Amino acid sequence: RFLPEFISGDFDSIRPEVKEYYAIKGCEIISTPDQDHTDFTKCLELLQKKIEEKHLQVDVIVTLGGLGGRFDQIMASVSTLFQATCITPVPIIIIQEESLIYLLQPGKHKMHVDTGMEGDWCGLIPVGQSCNHVTTTGLKWNLTNNMLGFGTLVSTSNTYDGSGVVTVETDHPLLWTMAIKT
Amino acid sequence: MEHAFTPLEPLLPTGKLKYCLVVLNQPLDKCVRRLWSKALLRACADGGANRLYDTMEGERERFLPEFISGDFDSIRPEVKEYYAIKGCEIISTPDQDHTDFTKCLELLQKKIEEKHLQVDVIVTLGGLGGRFDQIMASVSTLFQATCITPVPIIIIQEESLIYLLQPGKHKMHVDTGMEGDWCGLIPVGQSCNHVTTTGLKWNLTNNMLGFGTLVSTSNTYDGSGVVTVETDHPLLWTMAIKT
Repeated sequence: RFLPEFISGDFDSIRPEVKEYYAIKGCEIISTPDQDHTDFTKCLELLQKKIEEKHLQVDVIVTLGGLGGRFDQIMASVSTLFQATCITPVPIIIIQEESLIYLLQPGKHKMHVDTGMEGDWCGLIPVGQSCNHVTTTGLKWNLTNNMLGFGTLVSTSNTYDGSGVVTVETDHPLLWTMAIKT
Repeated sequence: MEHAFTPLEPLLPTGKLKYCLVVLNQPLDKCVRRLWSKALLRACADGGANRLYDTMEGERERFLPEFISGDFDSIRPEVKEYYAIKGCEIISTPDQDHTDFTKCLELLQKKIEEKHLQVDVIVTLGGLGGRFDQIMASVSTLFQATCITPVPIIIIQEESLIYLLQPGKHKMHVDTGMEGDWCGLIPVGQSCNHVTTTGLKWNLTNNMLGFGTLVSTSNTYDGSGVVTVETDHPLLWTMAIKT
């Protein structure tokens, strides 16, 4: 009942019996040996190809995992979000345990946070570079044309003001992170 | 000016490094026992005390920190009481503009100065797992730490270590035998325009590292036992610890 359309990667992690099982069940097994990109990045490229081939209208790509374990691989997941803008126009969210991350491109964003599944905390992380002009509404500790940067200010353990909507305006890519109620 | 050190030296049983230990609120790794006895000072940041208390059940008295600090929204009342009765200093740091970790480092530096201690490194356990915003807060603290203490800080959790390389040249000995398979260089905070390395399987030669350009992850060693990194901006080094 849970057969993926495809499994891709350099296959240094998948167990042989697992690969065989899904191959027999008809799932496409696609080898992507390129060592200059992660399995995640290459998987997104393939996914985008299939979205185009099937002429699908897709609102978002939901990724499970990527935010725990090896620190370098957590950072690689974040890095993939930066690269993703050149791979697919579809927004990508990454979810693991109680955390979600989503990369906000420069500009204005409006996020509805009133599904009832939002946890207590949220944050804005200027991972790749400082964001010189960030303005928010809807947070407990809002920013008003403030600078966010490692070594200056990073917004963590923030929370909501109860309005159910968060707006973020940023001049550079800014990583949004929030809690999911477990 | 080249800065030389051995990131995993504190984990060596025969190590002679003078270090302090900070315990954060994440599942405690087994190495805490080995690290505890030789530490000059030991501190817990808020919920880190819960972790110590639970992990050391049956032998808690042998693992008493010099102090426990934080805004105390995580530490359990019975844990706080236990360590207070045992003579550990309980220091409230309610400031909501900084994390418990950052404030703990400030207090640690004060005590290092008060006691005129010579400290080579501050070893922090935890901080690299759990809530994503708190993982990023740990990294952020490393950036702020340069204004708090001159002592280098490493953060360790499970098989990962992180250490912030300041601009300049660095030489790291990676031949303790405790190094795991992978390592990486993460340009958190800003791009590094000129990065040169030796000792890695995939070296950089005056390359740019930046999110959206190139981030070095799943790298490994060339077997020489030494890694050098030259960078023009702060660059986060990360490596695997053999478990």
